[in-house]
Amino acid sequence: MDQNMNFQTVMLIVGFLMIIAGCYCMIRTYHILKIFIGVEIAMKAVTMFLVLAGYVNGRAGLSQAYVITAIVLEVVVAVVFAGVTIHLYKKYGNMDIRNLTQLKG
Amino acid sequence: MEVIIYICLALLLSFCILAAMSQSLLKSAIFLAFASATLGVILFVLGAPWAAVIEVSACSGLVTVIFISAISLSRIKKEEVQKLYADKKQMKYLPYILIIAGIVIIVAALAGSVALPGTAVESTEDFREVFWNSRQADILGQIVSILIGGIAVYVLMRESKD
Repeated sequence: MDQNMNFQTVMLIVGFLMIIAGCYCMIRTYHILKIFIGVEIAMKAVTMFLVLAGYVNGRAGLSQAYVITAIVLEVVVAVVFAGVTIHLYKKYGNMDIRNLTQLKG
Repeated sequence: MEVIIYICLALLLSFCILAAMSQSLLKSAIFLAFASATLGVILFVLGAPWAAVIEVSACSGLVTVIFISAISLSRIKKEEVQKLYADKKQMKYLPYILIIAGIVIIVAALAGSVALPGTAVESTEDFREVFWNSRQADILGQIVSILIGGIAVYVLMRESKD
């Protein structure tokens, strides 16, 4: 490994790979919970990037404030996803997001 | 410290890939919880203990509970997931895509000499001071988003009148 490949750069590469994995998971399925898993994987990479930025710049306090906001939003998104999932299952008996196009009103 | 980070990064990426590729939703939820716990360790080692605690408690705990509740309320079986969504077929290319993307990114990083600053500047900020004094708008935004989430769940769950 090259000497300029420090652990910060490795974290950046792993984060990009996690975003690719999350996006692939979101694109390749119609199952709403698998899409949610893809969103969560990408969010974890974003959380890691925020803390890495704080570590590199020496502004850990500010980066932690951003991370906590991101985590709160993640939980709210999880709750809304769960609500949509249960509603979708009750109405159509499966979790296929293509059913959402049939909704009216 | 670096050894811990490298081990945790390998575990984090593995758990994320397993969560994406697993055909059982329950296993996916558990792998996601492990990934959150591993990320919590990384955050702690990087000097963000408050973020680590909230990551472990909220993402590894609360989100997993919400996710497993949604799975158990909808009672969809592994066979149905495979049959309806062909998940095994859809996800089998993920490792190859990640290997190719990883090689491309590493080669690009080495060719362009992309490297983040190695020595971290010593942080003098106190998280509590920043959060409660400088980032008050964030707190307001968090409260509003929680309220909107609550209203959204109420709207989704309310019984139809007819």
